[in-house]
Amino acid sequence: MRRFAVLVSLLLASVASAAADDMHGMAMGHEAPLGFDATIDAGGHLWVVDTVGEHVRARRSDDMGRTFAVSTIVNPTGEPLYAEGENRPKIALGSKGELYVTWSQPRKLPWTGFVRFSRSLDGGAHFDAPMTVHTDRAEITHRFDSLAVDSKGNIIVAWIDKRDVEAAKAAGKPYLGAATYYSWSTDRGAHFAPERKIVDESCECCRIALARAPDGSIDAFFRAIYGDNIRDHAFASLPVGGATPKVERATFTQWHIEGCPHHGPSFSIDAKGTRHAVWFSAADGKATIWYGQLMPGAPPSHLATVATTGASHADLLADGTRVWIAYHQMSPEGLNLMLRESTDGGVSFGEPRQIAHTTNASGWPKLVLWHQRAFVAWNPEGQFRLVPTEALQ
Amino acid sequence: MKRLLLFTALTVAMPAFAAPPVALAPADVPALVAPPAKGVRIVALWALDCAYCEENLSALATWQRQHADVDLVFVATDSIGQRDTLSARLKAARLDAVPSQAYADATPDRINYLIDPGWGGETPRTLVIRADGTRKAFSGALTAERIASLMH
Repeated sequence: MRRFAVLVSLLLASVASAAADDMHGMAMGHEAPLGFDATIDAGGHLWVVDTVGEHVRARRSDDMGRTFAVSTIVNPTGEPLYAEGENRPKIALGSKGELYVTWSQPRKLPWTGFVRFSRSLDGGAHFDAPMTVHTDRAEITHRFDSLAVDSKGNIIVAWIDKRDVEAAKAAGKPYLGAATYYSWSTDRGAHFAPERKIVDESCECCRIALARAPDGSIDAFFRAIYGDNIRDHAFASLPVGGATPKVERATFTQWHIEGCPHHGPSFSIDAKGTRHAVWFSAADGKATIWYGQLMPGAPPSHLATVATTGASHADLLADGTRVWIAYHQMSPEGLNLMLRESTDGGVSFGEPRQIAHTTNASGWPKLVLWHQRAFVAWNPEGQFRLVPTEALQ
Repeated sequence: MKRLLLFTALTVAMPAFAAPPVALAPADVPALVAPPAKGVRIVALWALDCAYCEENLSALATWQRQHADVDLVFVATDSIGQRDTLSARLKAARLDAVPSQAYADATPDRINYLIDPGWGGETPRTLVIRADGTRKAFSGALTAERIASLMH
């Protein structure tokens, strides 16, 4: 107990010191970064990662997010962190209670970063010293990390990487966007394999969605570039070991933009292998969140408009014949957390339902599943909540 | 009205010297997007994460130097808490003589929506507001040719 008290006081001190450091030099009110990730373990414990100053924090709730029984700083030695919506820390669980956390660390130059990883093998009491996932240490973009664990317990990390655009620039060759890379660990995060390219010329500023397929392997769905800056999406399987990823175009919305959408997709694969996906496009100037069932190499089936003006950052989860889509809807009165639900495997969706509201800001919504019930993790004004998808506002 | 006058005076007077970005709160948005008394106001929205934005700001600053009736303001969708980083980035790109603002919100969504409900937050985003109240918007990096077509 005494040991626990010492640990708690150390943690509180480190949090207080981090907060003080963060305020240093801020002449005006500083808004805390709201980027977070959440997941629920087999025992029904909710795990949330976010940032406090230069520290990544992992917390465990035993009462579905009302209170936190455990709060551990992942990196006691602080470092710069990306902590915004599209580029936030991630958490994933191993089958034996392992906790895996990744984040992107800004370097000194603009748009640079390293993908960092840490693990806890003692239920979150402490985390190993962070390591850099990639072997390439050039001061360039290795950012927008995504994290998943396959059914064999292998850890997959994917990210956006600019080594190929740098090489093309040096050779005087044209290159659009950045590449997408990944790596894996087969030993619970003790080591990572040398990274492998998924594809060249993909988008520079959108999160990568990862999902587990029925065979247990991990697939990726991410924004890529086709032709002259058409920013649609690619689907790729991410093999662990010898095979190379097969990458195919999966959306055909034809959005042309020489710019950054800041808006990555989400997807989930049901037990039958149907790939339910949501993504954002503003083709023809019409901001739209789309739903579709991916048919890599061909346009998606069951294409449907989820939401339009003022809607953003959709997350999707599928379980059996149920599909949930949570997203942000801005209104003159503030930010609404919206939900659309399908009970027929994505063939049709119910009307949009507001399940929560804030007059302030929140990190992007994240759907989590517990015993066939879906909840939306949300943190309006930095106050974490788990909103039942059945909620009525 | 007083606020609008002050804002207009600042945006007109400031190109003579460099200044760090000032905070743009939700309540400041109506003044930002109000039609100018004459000519054209260009609101150039950018973000630290956006690799296309500096070239866009640079193209717009060049255009403004050649067109006396253009009132240009840079608005970063990043939090004003990153003022020092924003200032350094603009200075390094020699774009710090243009009046500049940054969002006073933790995430950009609310101010994005107040500026332009039809905008999904992609950057660069250029908003052209004329004295007669008409508006045009474009997402993506602009060249001189594209600016010319946006202005007409």
